[in-house]
Amino acid sequence: MILALGLSILFALVIGITAARSRRAESVILPLLDIFQSIPILGFFPFVIGAIYGVMPNIVGANLAVIFLIFTSMSWNIAFGVYEAVRAIPQDYADLLNMSNASGWQRTKSLYIPASLSRISYNTQTSWAVGLFFLVASEIIVVGKQQIPVGAGIGIAATKFAGDFANYALLIIGLILAVVVWRFIFLREFALWSEKYKMMEEPREIHNDPIMRFYSWVNQRSISKLFLLTHGKGVTRFTSAISRFRRGIKYAVAIFLGIFLLLVVVTLLTRTGVTTIHMPSLSRLISDESYVLYNLGASFMRVWYVYGICVAIGLPLGIVISLNFKLYDSVSPVLEVISSIPAPILLPAIVLIPVLGHAPEAVAAIVIMLSIIWYIIFNVMAGVRTLPAELKELPRVFRVSRLSAWRNVYIPGALTGFVTGSITAIGGAWNALIIAEYFNPSGGIPLTQTSAGIGKIIVIATGNNTVPPDYLTLTLAIVSMTVLIVAFNLLVWRRVYHHVTKRYTYNR
Amino acid sequence: MSEVPSQIHGGKIISVDNISLVYYKEKEPLPVLADVSLTAGKDQLVAITGPSGCGKSTLLRIMAGLTKATSGTVKVLDSEVTGPRADITMVFQNFVLLPWRTSLENVLFGLSSRTDLTEGQKLDKAKKALEETGLMGFENVYPGELSGGMKQRVGVARALATDPEVMLMDEPFSSLDDLTAERLRREIHELLINPSTSVKTVIMVSHNVEEIIELADKAIVLSQRPAHVAGEVKIDLPRPRNKKSEEFFKWVDKVYSLLS
Repeated sequence: MILALGLSILFALVIGITAARSRRAESVILPLLDIFQSIPILGFFPFVIGAIYGVMPNIVGANLAVIFLIFTSMSWNIAFGVYEAVRAIPQDYADLLNMSNASGWQRTKSLYIPASLSRISYNTQTSWAVGLFFLVASEIIVVGKQQIPVGAGIGIAATKFAGDFANYALLIIGLILAVVVWRFIFLREFALWSEKYKMMEEPREIHNDPIMRFYSWVNQRSISKLFLLTHGKGVTRFTSAISRFRRGIKYAVAIFLGIFLLLVVVTLLTRTGVTTIHMPSLSRLISDESYVLYNLGASFMRVWYVYGICVAIGLPLGIVISLNFKLYDSVSPVLEVISSIPAPILLPAIVLIPVLGHAPEAVAAIVIMLSIIWYIIFNVMAGVRTLPAELKELPRVFRVSRLSAWRNVYIPGALTGFVTGSITAIGGAWNALIIAEYFNPSGGIPLTQTSAGIGKIIVIATGNNTVPPDYLTLTLAIVSMTVLIVAFNLLVWRRVYHHVTKRYTYNR
Repeated sequence: MSEVPSQIHGGKIISVDNISLVYYKEKEPLPVLADVSLTAGKDQLVAITGPSGCGKSTLLRIMAGLTKATSGTVKVLDSEVTGPRADITMVFQNFVLLPWRTSLENVLFGLSSRTDLTEGQKLDKAKKALEETGLMGFENVYPGELSGGMKQRVGVARALATDPEVMLMDEPFSSLDDLTAERLRREIHELLINPSTSVKTVIMVSHNVEEIIELADKAIVLSQRPAHVAGEVKIDLPRPRNKKSEEFFKWVDKVYSLLS
């Protein structure tokens, strides 16, 4: 995990600085980062395992695959942070270095890295939670494959302990302790240390507030970034980037497809041998694709009804918490810890609950909910918190009824944060599906499986020690899912986001 | 609302008596207001001024019933203010309009607690208030499409529509540019200090001394924290007041001398 984090930071520095220094690089890197952020990385995992394990069929290979996945889940976000930090360096500093004839490396060492540090620390704190989710998820998938030994890991342990209550409980307690220690001691120290390298004064209050941190992180994330770049008014800093972004997007798509194809080819070459590759017949292709689409539809509905439940709970909860200072101060650190416990690790416990043991749909819903509801709660909280105190007090001044206050002030005020949170939550739900729909630690009869779902068929197509991977179904499933998600983002979310930020953002 | 004949109380609409406020920061007492008293009479505009951060706005919030004082009382028309009231309203420095509602809807929002009115009556009232503040034709415009001066007009209309007797204004002109503020100041004064409106008294927090001399009948000057009343200046300059006259500057100097 730490290794992956280190790699992510290194990658982020290289990519972020390159993008910020070169327009050409920027025009390709930004859209590319965007695509990578908005697709469910977990779906690609089987190919990553296939490719890496094919080259290195041992414990090192399997671990590399896991590290690679966590790395991918964390690095985009940090790279964005570095990019923005370097872009934000005042021209004066750059001029200073120009005049002193500093070399590229000297510039990087003395200006770019220090300038990025605070943003790296900032973004790492939230990347960490995401990374942990992927760590557990990928380990669970790896265990499902059985023939690959990975060594030790918390997700593996949780899977092995499924059914062994005492050990499992110990494991969860240990994890919570580790999360608390890591987040509140190590990351805090890093944040305080990087504070020294800040270029400009920011209001301290905002910086130290974990919710605000989360909010600004989500705001920098993929989709919202894409919208801002193409629609944002008043983001003059980026206006010149807009046209470059548009030009770059086709290269980005090409590079993305290239990487994907490379993964597929490497996997096929190493796992099945060149001789066995043959073109699938058209009828097989059609029947496979219709099977994929049927399952994709089931998952699509699942994602949306779970999202609906999360909204029904998360929106009012977030508003209530953030309107009450005392409640906010006591509840938000607790929520922060709970939210950084990756939901998949709770799967073995959820399956054990007697009522749920035979209700795989409910199990899936709970796992997805526990993975994504935080995005909604935290974003709503941050949205309400950023409203000026006077606005929140307006209902009191005019002695307006509670209903009217919610309808006219609190809900509209939370809406921007809510939409940002929703976009991230839906993205998270697609990732969580891959764990939530099918869980089979023993390789025999699955502990839980929904009747249909894209996550289920992806995991099954990954194969296990008796069944070889079905790469055709895998490819179709992943491509179909990616197309659906990207299309939905472009056609629906983009418009909603644009409308909401235009009308529902509070500026004086 | 029981109307008390004002002549019995010497025309006193508001009386603030010995208000003190102490905040606690990590158990350390932090006195903000120390024994502040003031009164405001009928058809008066009373300005409160003082060094920045002295607690002017906090005092205004106490008068609005939004913040509780540690000790002391605020009485409006002889009844003690214990919380926000229908006869007291407020205009904010930063307008505080709902950006997702049109001007008309913003004014209606201020009226939504009035259960004694039908929806139709509310609409008439809101439209009338918008008309009085010079916003005819801007009913269906969102605040984001209005200039600062226009936004503040909506803020005043929202407050005015509720038929308040006391209007509290927290630096109402300080986030506007000079020219806009100049115009609006005059208009608002004419609109409020006028027998045809329900408003009996206006309390305005301001740090602009010239603005105070131009508009106010009385200036209350607060000291540094913890704020107490450093001086009270009754401004009996005849109106309309000429901002360039020598007399005007004498009053300005008088308030400045209390401020420093």
